[in-house]
Amino acid sequence: MATVKWPHFFHFSAPHSVVNTPAHRPDTRRSKSYGRSCVEPPSLFWQTPGHLTTLGHRIPTSRRAAKSHNITTKVDPEQVALLIKNEWKLSHVTPLYRFRHTQLKLYSKHLAAFIIAEKQQGVAVEVGVEAGFKVTFSAVLGIAETKEDAETVFIQVHSKPLFSADTPKAVWRGWLTCVNGDPEYLRSLPPDFVSLPLFCSSGPEYLTALVKSWFERTFDCSFGSLYLNSTMLNWLAALWTGCHPTSNIRYLKLAWNMPSQPPLDIAYTVNPQDAWELWNSIHTEDSTDDRINIEEVQLFMNGLEIHFFRHFKIYLSAGTLTKVSTALGSAHHDGKIKIGSSDYITTLLTLLTECALMKTPV
Amino acid sequence: MMANISDLSRVALDSSRDSSGSGSSSRSLRVAESMKKKGETNPFRSALSSLSQVREGTTVKGNDELERNLVVVETIAFGQGLPPEAVSLLLDLALSLRSGTCSRVLKFLIPASVVPQEAIVRGVSWLCVGKMPVNAQVLFLRWVLTVFDLIDCKDHLRAIYGFIFSFVTEENLCPFICHLLYLLTMREHVQPYRVRKLLDVQAKMGRQPYLMQLLALYKVFRPELVSFSVPTRMRTGFKNHNSTWKAALTAVQRKNRAEVMADHSLTVEVKEKPTSRKRKLHHLDVPALSSAFDTNSERKVFRLQELQSFTELIQNIHNIELPAQMGSLLGSSLALHYLDCVQDESAFLRLNFWLGHSLQEEFLLCPADGSLSSLAEASQFLSIILSSQQFLQESFFSTESFLYKFLTVWDGSLLRTHFLDLLSHVPLMPSHYIKVLVFEPLMQLYFTSAVFFKCSVMECLNNMLVKWLTWHSVNALEDGLDISLNSNGTVTMTLSGFMDTIIELVRFVGRLAAEGLRLENCHVLLLSQTLTFYETVCDMFVKYGLPLVIMPPAGVFYPALLATDSLTVDRLGYIMYRYRENLTLAKKQEQQSEQTFHISRNTYQEFNQHLVAMVSCLWNSKSFLPGTGFEIDECLLTQTKVPEYGSRFDLVHHPAFFKYAIEFHQKFWPRRKRVDLASIKVGKYWNWYVEFLFSQGFDGLNDFIQVNTGHSSSSVLCQSLTLFICLSGQCHIED
Repeated sequence: MATVKWPHFFHFSAPHSVVNTPAHRPDTRRSKSYGRSCVEPPSLFWQTPGHLTTLGHRIPTSRRAAKSHNITTKVDPEQVALLIKNEWKLSHVTPLYRFRHTQLKLYSKHLAAFIIAEKQQGVAVEVGVEAGFKVTFSAVLGIAETKEDAETVFIQVHSKPLFSADTPKAVWRGWLTCVNGDPEYLRSLPPDFVSLPLFCSSGPEYLTALVKSWFERTFDCSFGSLYLNSTMLNWLAALWTGCHPTSNIRYLKLAWNMPSQPPLDIAYTVNPQDAWELWNSIHTEDSTDDRINIEEVQLFMNGLEIHFFRHFKIYLSAGTLTKVSTALGSAHHDGKIKIGSSDYITTLLTLLTECALMKTPV
Repeated sequence: MMANISDLSRVALDSSRDSSGSGSSSRSLRVAESMKKKGETNPFRSALSSLSQVREGTTVKGNDELERNLVVVETIAFGQGLPPEAVSLLLDLALSLRSGTCSRVLKFLIPASVVPQEAIVRGVSWLCVGKMPVNAQVLFLRWVLTVFDLIDCKDHLRAIYGFIFSFVTEENLCPFICHLLYLLTMREHVQPYRVRKLLDVQAKMGRQPYLMQLLALYKVFRPELVSFSVPTRMRTGFKNHNSTWKAALTAVQRKNRAEVMADHSLTVEVKEKPTSRKRKLHHLDVPALSSAFDTNSERKVFRLQELQSFTELIQNIHNIELPAQMGSLLGSSLALHYLDCVQDESAFLRLNFWLGHSLQEEFLLCPADGSLSSLAEASQFLSIILSSQQFLQESFFSTESFLYKFLTVWDGSLLRTHFLDLLSHVPLMPSHYIKVLVFEPLMQLYFTSAVFFKCSVMECLNNMLVKWLTWHSVNALEDGLDISLNSNGTVTMTLSGFMDTIIELVRFVGRLAAEGLRLENCHVLLLSQTLTFYETVCDMFVKYGLPLVIMPPAGVFYPALLATDSLTVDRLGYIMYRYRENLTLAKKQEQQSEQTFHISRNTYQEFNQHLVAMVSCLWNSKSFLPGTGFEIDECLLTQTKVPEYGSRFDLVHHPAFFKYAIEFHQKFWPRRKRVDLASIKVGKYWNWYVEFLFSQGFDGLNDFIQVNTGHSSSSVLCQSLTLFICLSGQCHIED
């Protein structure tokens, strides 16, 4: 007969029972989850029991309307200017382990050495000797909104020409940021981690790959491409249109890709005033806390699509929204953005931070 | 003998050291020497001692005495190896160039056991003198590399690291010096000026593999000093320089040593990176072990890359440094041992971030840029996770949360075995979660997939149940009702919560099995998998101490009872036997204690019903009759026009045993032309037939009948039912 294990909670004595567990078990096997369970908060995976989306994240159904915000009062205008110039390719990043904002100088040296070493496979490079590339890390203070947000980090790679008469030229730029990240989640991370979930890069692909690879090796994090789904693009279209009275959006351009044979790309440009009037007819502004609901956004997009159908008899909803752009910025569904105006940068980055955090695996 | 030799050699050593000193002392030694020599004549020792007295400038040619002595020592060396003292002595002789026989001596320098490190230190000092010809220098270094593992202790050698390092600039010696340094280097040896020197050498000599290896090691120790990327097509490692001595050395070693040199079965596997250039993303590669750069750490740490054996792991377990990327631990079995001892929450979070990210990118987000890894890579990756989880006997929570997401989008065929295996590792969770997260998506897949998938699901759920039960019997807290789900005790589950989950699982499988068997016409494989599951279920109380007995639903029980293959019926017999054992024990416990028991009256009733049905069908030839548990309307039965339908499923006529009945009939009545199976059921023939069946290996049936009749298998037929009623009565005492 098999040995019977006899825990006490059966509420009866077992005179002939075989094995009694020792009175003080020294150590129960711990679970690798260490108090974290993927079905309990703070895991982003599980939000409300019974409502599980594919990736299982809470998607907000309402947002605060975009408000103009002169960011240059908080942030160094020179740094802001750097963010605005380029088109950025987006990635999401898992939290960085032992990243310290106080060590940025050291990181500059290491990344430079790493890039050079990777370029000349097999030849070792002494850290700290500048040859060919120069890297600068800098903190962009003031972009973070809440005290849970880590400060944004900006990275530039300069190539140093062989003949040093020329000044170094910036060949690659990138930054890591977190704006209005889910506070519950951010608080749940152990202090060793810094969450900067959104990574924007601009420059040659191989340098992006090298920088990512260096971060992965140094801070034990992982990068993945961030794509913007049509819900996100819809949000942006509505949020930007709502800004028109305070700051001229000049145009609302939308692009669709239709699944026809041959594929059809549709560019749809809306007069800013018309767009705003449509939005104004849908969105009711209550003065206290101006929030926008997802239903309003849907109505707004439907309005635009119906208008298009009236003229061209094409259901845009059958296709994929690929791009939204106004003078305030543009966003492409393959994860490329441009920031047109610094005044609305917070709204945009909040949205993108949320997108990136949703991709956090655990 | 050994002691004598060592005495002698020490004397010899002393004398050679003194050779430049006062002549008188060496003479007196020599006298003592010859005195000894007279006492015991050992050609080896005398040869050795005279070799030790060879003075500088001795000619080799025509020196018969020298030649003779060399031959004597050489023979011994190749035969049984040289004792440590002889090694020192001869090495000194060779490198001092006193006799011009340097390379010859070096070539037969086969140590029997160990090489004293002082000999090597002296050797290096001869190297520093700078009189040795290049080929002798190379030969010496090659010899050192060959016997490196036999050097008794290396601390003095490490102390002269700087001297050895100075030779890297010598072009001819560089490969050997790099190798030697590679073997000797400790963290404190890696200094900026040495890094700079090596970089200079590299600039001069190009990308030599030996330099790269040494630099790579420097990077391991001080990643903040040197940055280095190993090209994908680099020739790995150092060349073997042991060709001169290898054969002789292994022969001598084999002869002299009983124990094996080193157990390399548990070494860190340095993973060969697949050199596919196509892929842009490497999210399915387990990263290589590398150290984090932490500039302020001067603490003595042991890096996982240095780890060679399990012994080393045990000795250094208190100061092992975690690698820069936690994911790299999954690539090495030794590192997994260490992972099991890690107590650091951040470390696990890092591992889970990486793992979760890799799985998500590969299987959920599926990058649109065509960088998806191949199926082979994906399956290899999942295998690594699986084997790691099996090793740790625990699942990673990132795999778990990935699985819950993935189940809803899985087609049920992509890497099926891997994913089902992973699913069976899912840890316990409250019953309402398991329902939503696992059962609902799994049910959809189950009912829309082929019978083989259904079988795999059954197998997976059985493994899941076994794991949970085992886990419960190990982890149940002694004095509380709660079961701790982790070390902190922050997540606990009550016993009743645990039971709810188990009940939920067993019921769920019951539903799947019953419906599945109906859909698949009682497919024999599916039936078999289902019975495997119930083999676990029926023993939950006796085997795992869980006071829970759940009977199989009718949709499982009857297909098994009426199955056409004998194995199935036999297994059902075993299952019913185990149920009875469990219930009997439960009953006993209940009567001995004051408390009411968890097992409800319904369970007993269900069991009795199944039992009565099984006995009346197999034993009493009364299937389908009223009061037998499964009753079929008589009109219907007569309509089938099957004669004597009541006995169609007894042990003789049951389709599963029909073949045996015929065989039995032929054996007993070989002359009978007409087969009359009914005659088996008469008197002693029945008992013999039952014996015959048991002899065919139907142990389950044997147990079932024995325990239920209370007698040996040859008991009288009609006793059985009375005893069942007895059991039923006993069971009905409930409340």
